[in-house]
Amino acid sequence: MPKIQFVDPVEMRKPGKITFQDIPINQYNKTIEEEKSNFSAEDFLRIQRDMVYIREFETMLNLIKTTGQYREIEYNYPGPAHLSIGQEAAAVGQAYLLTTDDFIFGSHRSHGEIIAKGLSAIHQLSDEQLLTIMRDFFDGAIYQVVEEAATSSSVKDLAIDFLLYGALAEIFGRETGFNKGLGGSMHAFFTPFGIYPNNAIVGGSAPISIGAALYKKVNQKPGIVIANIGDASMGCGPVWEALNFAAMDQYRDLWEEGYQGGLPIIFNFFNNHYGMGGQTSGETMAYGYLARVGAGVSANQMHSERIDGFSPLAVIDAIRRKKAIIEEQNDGPIFLDTVTYRFSGHSPSDASSYRTKEEIDAWQAYDPIITFKQQLLDAKVASESDFEKIEQEVSDRIFKVFKLAIDDQKSPRMNLYANPNSISDLMFSNEKIEKMDDREPITLIPKEENSRIQQIKKKIRVAEQDGKPVSKARAYQLRDGIFEAIIDKFYTDPTLIAYGEDNRDWDGAFAVYRGLTESLPYHRFFNAPISEAAIAGSAVGYAMAGGRVIAELMYCDFLGRAGDEVFNQMAKWQAMSAGVLKMPLVLRVSVGSKYGAQHSQDWSSLVAHIPGLKVVFPATPYDAKGLMNSALAGTDPVIFFESQRIYDIGEMFHPGGVPEDYYEVPIGEPDIKKEGQDITILTVGATLYRALEAAKILEEKYGLSAEIIDARSIVPFNYEKVIESVKKTGRILLASDACERGSHLKDIAQNISELAFDYLDAPPVVVGAQNWITPAHELEEFFFPQAEWIIDAIHEKILPLEGHVTKTNFTKNEKLRAQRLGV
Amino acid sequence: MATPIIMPRQGQSVETCIITEWHKKKGDSVEIGDVLFSYETDKASFEEEAKAAGTLLEIFYEADEEVPVLTTVAVIGEVGEDISEFLPSTTVTEETTPPPAAESTEIADTPIEPTPASQGQPRTSSEIRISPRARNLAKKHKLDYRYATPTGPEGRIIERDIQSLLEAGPKVTSAAMADYFASDQPLTGTGLGGRITTSDLRQPLPPANTVPTQTSSVPDYVDVKLPNIRKVIAKAMHHSLSSTAQLTLNTSFDATEILAYRQKLKAKQNELGLENITLNDLIIYATARTLLKHNELNAHYLDDTLRVFNNVHMGVAVDTERGLMVPTVFYADLLSLNQLAENTKRAIAACQAGSINPDELQGGTFTITNLGTLGIESFTPVLNPPQTGILGVCNIEYKIKLVDGEYVHYPAMGLSLTFDHRALDGAPAARFLKDLVTNLENFSVLLAM
Repeated sequence: MPKIQFVDPVEMRKPGKITFQDIPINQYNKTIEEEKSNFSAEDFLRIQRDMVYIREFETMLNLIKTTGQYREIEYNYPGPAHLSIGQEAAAVGQAYLLTTDDFIFGSHRSHGEIIAKGLSAIHQLSDEQLLTIMRDFFDGAIYQVVEEAATSSSVKDLAIDFLLYGALAEIFGRETGFNKGLGGSMHAFFTPFGIYPNNAIVGGSAPISIGAALYKKVNQKPGIVIANIGDASMGCGPVWEALNFAAMDQYRDLWEEGYQGGLPIIFNFFNNHYGMGGQTSGETMAYGYLARVGAGVSANQMHSERIDGFSPLAVIDAIRRKKAIIEEQNDGPIFLDTVTYRFSGHSPSDASSYRTKEEIDAWQAYDPIITFKQQLLDAKVASESDFEKIEQEVSDRIFKVFKLAIDDQKSPRMNLYANPNSISDLMFSNEKIEKMDDREPITLIPKEENSRIQQIKKKIRVAEQDGKPVSKARAYQLRDGIFEAIIDKFYTDPTLIAYGEDNRDWDGAFAVYRGLTESLPYHRFFNAPISEAAIAGSAVGYAMAGGRVIAELMYCDFLGRAGDEVFNQMAKWQAMSAGVLKMPLVLRVSVGSKYGAQHSQDWSSLVAHIPGLKVVFPATPYDAKGLMNSALAGTDPVIFFESQRIYDIGEMFHPGGVPEDYYEVPIGEPDIKKEGQDITILTVGATLYRALEAAKILEEKYGLSAEIIDARSIVPFNYEKVIESVKKTGRILLASDACERGSHLKDIAQNISELAFDYLDAPPVVVGAQNWITPAHELEEFFFPQAEWIIDAIHEKILPLEGHVTKTNFTKNEKLRAQRLGV
Repeated sequence: MATPIIMPRQGQSVETCIITEWHKKKGDSVEIGDVLFSYETDKASFEEEAKAAGTLLEIFYEADEEVPVLTTVAVIGEVGEDISEFLPSTTVTEETTPPPAAESTEIADTPIEPTPASQGQPRTSSEIRISPRARNLAKKHKLDYRYATPTGPEGRIIERDIQSLLEAGPKVTSAAMADYFASDQPLTGTGLGGRITTSDLRQPLPPANTVPTQTSSVPDYVDVKLPNIRKVIAKAMHHSLSSTAQLTLNTSFDATEILAYRQKLKAKQNELGLENITLNDLIIYATARTLLKHNELNAHYLDDTLRVFNNVHMGVAVDTERGLMVPTVFYADLLSLNQLAENTKRAIAACQAGSINPDELQGGTFTITNLGTLGIESFTPVLNPPQTGILGVCNIEYKIKLVDGEYVHYPAMGLSLTFDHRALDGAPAARFLKDLVTNLENFSVLLAM
């Protein structure tokens, strides 16, 4: 909502019509003869060779899956094999012109793209570069295996062995695979060659790819990004979100000079006409021609066109033209409908019940490998013996690599007996990197001139002064703590960007970002469309590509809209890459109240359940600033929960108030907010303040002193302080605003039962919100935990309090009743 | 509408009572005022009268059963009425109101239970709910948690209950620990300080084979089932002797003056409207006042403390047909002689009638026991722990003493003081006796004080 852009009613209400440019369909029609000026004979043969490599590699996998052997060597591979036999021309054609600066992201069916892009990179890189890459990667672990088995002294040969072996060992779950076997068939990748993660979630690569493209744009890195996704992914919301996100008007109209233009990305749809068995055009989709979709997204029609993916030269031609549009005209994003066909099934278990043999035969008549070979023979570019040579080379090499990859001595699996922490050590990178790049950060004004910085300077950094509470207007608030940490990092790390809904101009829905707009250019701080999947997914891609990013979900309730991006992508890529990728990403999530059932939920337990995410939930300005500093200094994805109830709370606990200087609160360390002797109360988030009220009542009415511990972090979580406290008090109650059933506090309670059983005087008791919808604000006291509930629960379940009359029902019978009814 | 018959609560400290006899049986018709059943606490016996007329529809607890107070034991109503609502629940009966917090033991001038928790019936391990923390605390202090009074949710023993028990509960020696925790039997400790020892845990030996040497037409013996009160006395006596270091000092005093004073009071009794003030009352009076100067004998010996009382709550041993009872005359040092006599008499009568409030059977700080009327010249009274002293009053014998070169005889009344050597030594105990003798021999002077 920039004020400089006038929404003119006259313009908006004017009659007229939208006209489209024609959408080209398979316009490439050059002969080999005509292409001879662009390709040498060697080039032509290399294209053929690369297609044959893919074909043989996947044929090998198919035989293993369907017959249990390859060239009479038995091997059992129970994992997935989504083959792309038939689609080789599309992969090789695409990779032909791409450099290692160009990133490709793929799908579950991307073996071909890995091999094609890898072979292309090997062709382009010097021997020296190749050796460096191979020797550096995992300290040469993969290189060592292929080097010992080398049959040629050529570095390129060795590199091809390396590529095929790294990919196959990965597919077979070997520690010598590209991702130590943690990615597997659907996730294998190798970033030094520009091969970025392939994704087993259909369309999953679309939002991630735009993040990588955003990284290139913002940080002015060379190269383009290609999101290789299937035609069926056009049914996925996040793909549509990604298309729009990549093409937003602001890149052209609002971003600063030098940063203008749509994102440098090609959405390449390998259109093989089926989503598993669902026929896209004709059954599950409405587009008729897939290319039609791209043309509707933006004024430049995303330069959408359909190309013939069965012709490697047609694809090369398209990539040449599209790459130029991005690199020379700065007019991305691009939409490509690359027609192709897989002869193989969706997977080896596919009985092809959804298509006829005639259909497969008809497509096989145009088998790109056979067709292209014939064209080259016809054009006298090569002779039969050249092809025989290629086939021999490929066949020998695949067989050699196959034998190597199934050799348990040379290609062992992770030894989790000897090193039981091999995987757990990869869940987080746990690094501290102040800035992801050394450039001077681009800002609009010096930090000290920022009006918010000046305003905060006048604030009182404690909640109480001379025994009197400081007024809200004068107190340094929790939102100030978050802001201070963030603006500080913006002036330190040049790669840091932040976006979300209504971040710029509006200052974020809850004024955390107030004043940030004046300091930062659009390309570092902008408004995202209402596309939670694209917001979270692009942040994953941005971080993966090497930048640091703060993405924001305006309400926790919108987390569902970004489900896959948070649960499958943000959480997993560090470990699935075996530590190759880092994820310096902070996802700010604001937990609401007052706005009813779809704007008031605390879903911290959902993300806590997913391995690979760090989860924090500060409740004081001191902790908010310190934890945000830690989150922004690290290299792990942090879900940063904030409660709208307490954005304006002052600092009541930290002696001396919130420091002006930089400091970190370590992630994972709970904090004792009030010492006590008789009972421990552990809280998450804003419930802290209700626990303090309860502690006051316990003290004044019942003579009990409560120790209050603020969890601060949910994952990771150091239990030591809590256990020490429970040893002292013998009793613990846990409270948060999350619904009681399945609350992460149940998990903590269970761990305490295990860790401190002998010290417990009563079972740990969890007080959460009701297992209902959140009602209207006026009824929230019946839904969210109140101080009185805490007292009642203590009285009923932990320590009967003399003379206490309960107002709520914490009896066993009530629990049984509610659980029986699922409420 | 059927009426439930509730086991009354006889005093705040009573948790359970034992039904000794049913005077009505199921199906009998009952009038208001009919005695339904007799029951006893660990300290006294009572009879429960019908408060409603009708038919005794059901009896839930038979004779000899132990019943928690305020529990429905029977139902009176019309034949055919539904009594299902009164059926005792099969689970542990719980109170709807939270149990009171552990009593404060800070207030020194209120009566304190001599042995609070340990006199309750312990439950077996399988019935007990106890928190891990409470269990560990009990173990650490070698304490039998089965004697704890649970105050946690659902009748669970929690930490504070063990802390309460720490004051007086039975303890276990290290050697006996393992067997003790394996045992389900409630035990009474016979070791030092009431500790449960290995010998307490040993199974009783089978009786040795004996060869009968003569025959008789009557059986050799009869087994008389001990009433509850006898068991309590037995336990208390044994506990006293096994857990304290008691010894007895004997002396006598010239009773001329108190005998004369007693005669004087008797003569004026009706005229002044006085009680029948006995010699015993005079001795209680003198003892109560003498104790104020010798407070280590007006005290409770607790493990690591001597709780010294500022007033004298005089236990007075009473022989009843049920056995020995010791009601307490509270604030004996503050009462006038007449008030003292009145209170003592009432308490003795209540004991003999079996109507004494159990709360009056506790809280004594010193005890007087009188066997003088039965001709006993001297004896060794048994301490009532944690009290540190008990005075035995003996008969009067005539003795000779030398006065102004002449032998004169005088009535000498014997006194036997048993004291706990752990609390005080022989000399202070003797000094108390000496002061007491002086006060009794100069009773008129004492009255002036």
